[in-house]
Amino acid sequence: MLSDRMRSTTSPITRFSRLLLVAIAGCCAISGCDVPITSFQPNRIYVARMEKSQKADLQSALADTQAALEDLFGTPDEPLWPKFSENEADLANLVQLERLQQASGAVRSDEADRHFGLYREHCVQCHGISGDGLGPTSRFLNPYPRDFRLGKFKFKSTPIGQRPTRADLHRVLVDGLKGTSMPSFRLLKDEELEVLVDYVIFLSVRGQVERQMITDAALELDYEAGDRLYDRANRETNPELFKAQLDRVTKIAADAAKQWLKAQEAVTVVPEPPTDFPLYVDVQSLSAPDQEKLQASIARGRKLFQGPIANCASCHGATAMGDGQTNNYDAWTKDWTEGIDLLNKDDLRPFLKLGALKPRVILPRNLRTGVYRGGSEPHELYLRIVNGIDGSPMPATAMQPSNPQGLTESDVWDLVNFLLNLPNEAISKDASIAVAQRSDN
Amino acid sequence: MQSNLQPTEMPYSRAVHGLAVTLTLAVFPLIWVGGLVTTYDAGMAVPDWPNTYGYNMFAYPATTWLFGPFDLLVEHSHRLLGTVAGLLSIGLVAAAWFYDGRNWFKIWAMFVLMAVIAQGALGGFRVLLDQRSFAMIHGCTGPLFFAIATATAVMSSRWWLSRSAGQTQAQFTSRGATRLAAALLVASYCQLIVGAQLRHITAAVDHRVFMAFVHTHLTLAGLVVILAICTSAVTGLDRRTPARVRFPAILIALLVLVQISLGIATWIVNYSLPWQELSEWLAGYTISAKGYWESIIVTAHMATGSLIISLATVTALRAWRSRASVVAKEVNRKWKQQLA
Repeated sequence: MLSDRMRSTTSPITRFSRLLLVAIAGCCAISGCDVPITSFQPNRIYVARMEKSQKADLQSALADTQAALEDLFGTPDEPLWPKFSENEADLANLVQLERLQQASGAVRSDEADRHFGLYREHCVQCHGISGDGLGPTSRFLNPYPRDFRLGKFKFKSTPIGQRPTRADLHRVLVDGLKGTSMPSFRLLKDEELEVLVDYVIFLSVRGQVERQMITDAALELDYEAGDRLYDRANRETNPELFKAQLDRVTKIAADAAKQWLKAQEAVTVVPEPPTDFPLYVDVQSLSAPDQEKLQASIARGRKLFQGPIANCASCHGATAMGDGQTNNYDAWTKDWTEGIDLLNKDDLRPFLKLGALKPRVILPRNLRTGVYRGGSEPHELYLRIVNGIDGSPMPATAMQPSNPQGLTESDVWDLVNFLLNLPNEAISKDASIAVAQRSDN
Repeated sequence: MQSNLQPTEMPYSRAVHGLAVTLTLAVFPLIWVGGLVTTYDAGMAVPDWPNTYGYNMFAYPATTWLFGPFDLLVEHSHRLLGTVAGLLSIGLVAAAWFYDGRNWFKIWAMFVLMAVIAQGALGGFRVLLDQRSFAMIHGCTGPLFFAIATATAVMSSRWWLSRSAGQTQAQFTSRGATRLAAALLVASYCQLIVGAQLRHITAAVDHRVFMAFVHTHLTLAGLVVILAICTSAVTGLDRRTPARVRFPAILIALLVLVQISLGIATWIVNYSLPWQELSEWLAGYTISAKGYWESIIVTAHMATGSLIISLATVTALRAWRSRASVVAKEVNRKWKQQLA
């Protein structure tokens, strides 16, 4: 009886074990566990967009682009920094190769607690190996992870169109972005954060060069007539032509890197508030006259918020709950959806097949939560108002004296006070003012 | 209810059972620390194996181990705990050889030893080859070994031996409950495999594949919840079911609820929710990469999954054991006759 019982139990266990091994092996195969990451993924979505708009076949150009990028920027395991000319030492020093090497490759650490493969340890699951924002988890995140390749970053001290400074990237890494999937890396050592900042700049420059090469191939070169962006075979057969091609690509890289060098000069300096101007900080400790001034400032800020110059209410809504315009998209979505009917699935399908993430409208911030992703300090709000948020529909405010109709610095501080007070006041107040203003108009 | 058959005496060995229980108890912290290795990406914190930075594993300086880099602490502790499990398994084989009269159990004890060696070797290959796929398989087979150790503890218990063929039994588990418990074991293990895919995801994976894994994980979570509730309901409501089957079944149902909460929390501390502005807290929450609570929650989710598998093993085995006895079959048949 015992042996019978054993036979009857062994058989299902054996079957289960086999099933288990098959299941684990199947999972490995599906998930691509340990598929070697030998190269950066090409920007196929941008190629498809250019092919569609220019009605050209850019597959050969894409292959040339990848070859050039590999020669200039290396691979995910062995990154390189382009060899700029000797009189461009500042470009050569924009990032340090040693840091890039520490950020790249597989994750490991040593007895001295030095961590390697930092990008794969902390960033790659969302931002992807080439910084395209298409990592495995990206689909579930809202907002989608940042695609570094456009060179656009939201929360920075520089105006729209400019690159962020290293300090801006460092701040985002340390503070994270509230309410999003971007964590705070404050537990990392400072030198590790610098390594990640270097690698983000590296991926961004690399991505910009890739885009520019594809653009050039689509707009300036005639591949059907035999033009080539970059041909490695020329290194041996036609060194002069190869040098010309390499110089061209290096110049594109230099132009992209220069934009990062300019960032520090483009920083918007936040002025001190006018004298005798109380800010909405530590309100309880303000004297009675300062309290009155603060209330007056908040009232002025409310008027500006609803008014036509700042025009905040058009997107953030009359009650500032983010319920104004809610049908806009961010720059990263617009980058590939331009000229596409977003309601037409046939238009979208080819891009989605290439891995593009489903377009998702960008919602204006609900200002009443008191949560600002770019920081909620007065000077940070000042920057958001004056500089706007790059890549989002949030524009930079028109400012005096460059625009006589624009806001003054004092107006901006009034808006800052109004914003900081918003979480503490009743919604009905704004609603009634908005109704009154509409009837006035 | 009396049977005509005479009970077969099975000798109970305190040494065998004690070692089996100790092994099971030792594997759980091993799984926790193994989970921390994955959470902290510390799998390659020690580049050699079985040595640690050239030292014999046991001779590695305690000061560097305990007060050096945290990743090294976690990885080296995991290895040391692994050797404890190995030593206990050797002891189990010896004890089974000398004190357990069942030949098949002696072979089983050998199998346990082989399994722990294989598990250690998998961990070693993960390091020597620097392969995350080995880490993933090692992560899947760890809870499997936990289940094997649990099964050993159950099969060496006095209760198991007392349910020997022919012994009179007033309580038994229905066929349905046994099948439910077995299904729960299989489903919870499949769930763990899919969870391991999510934990060990690499950059090479397309976001559509990750989405498929997430959806499968959620679907299986639903299935495990249903099976856990059904198993605890069927065993709990049927007074004929032995308390030793009922208790772990009910415990699983409670653990599954904890596990669901941990699963939601794991998602939030890893990726945040896509609808943050539903609540002020979510809107203002900043994830701390490798933060203390974040790591504890994620690792606890993995460890609770293993605990559910272990308890499902206890339930399924005990249910099978209390159903398989000849008397139980007889009682069941007569019960059905009475109902008819």
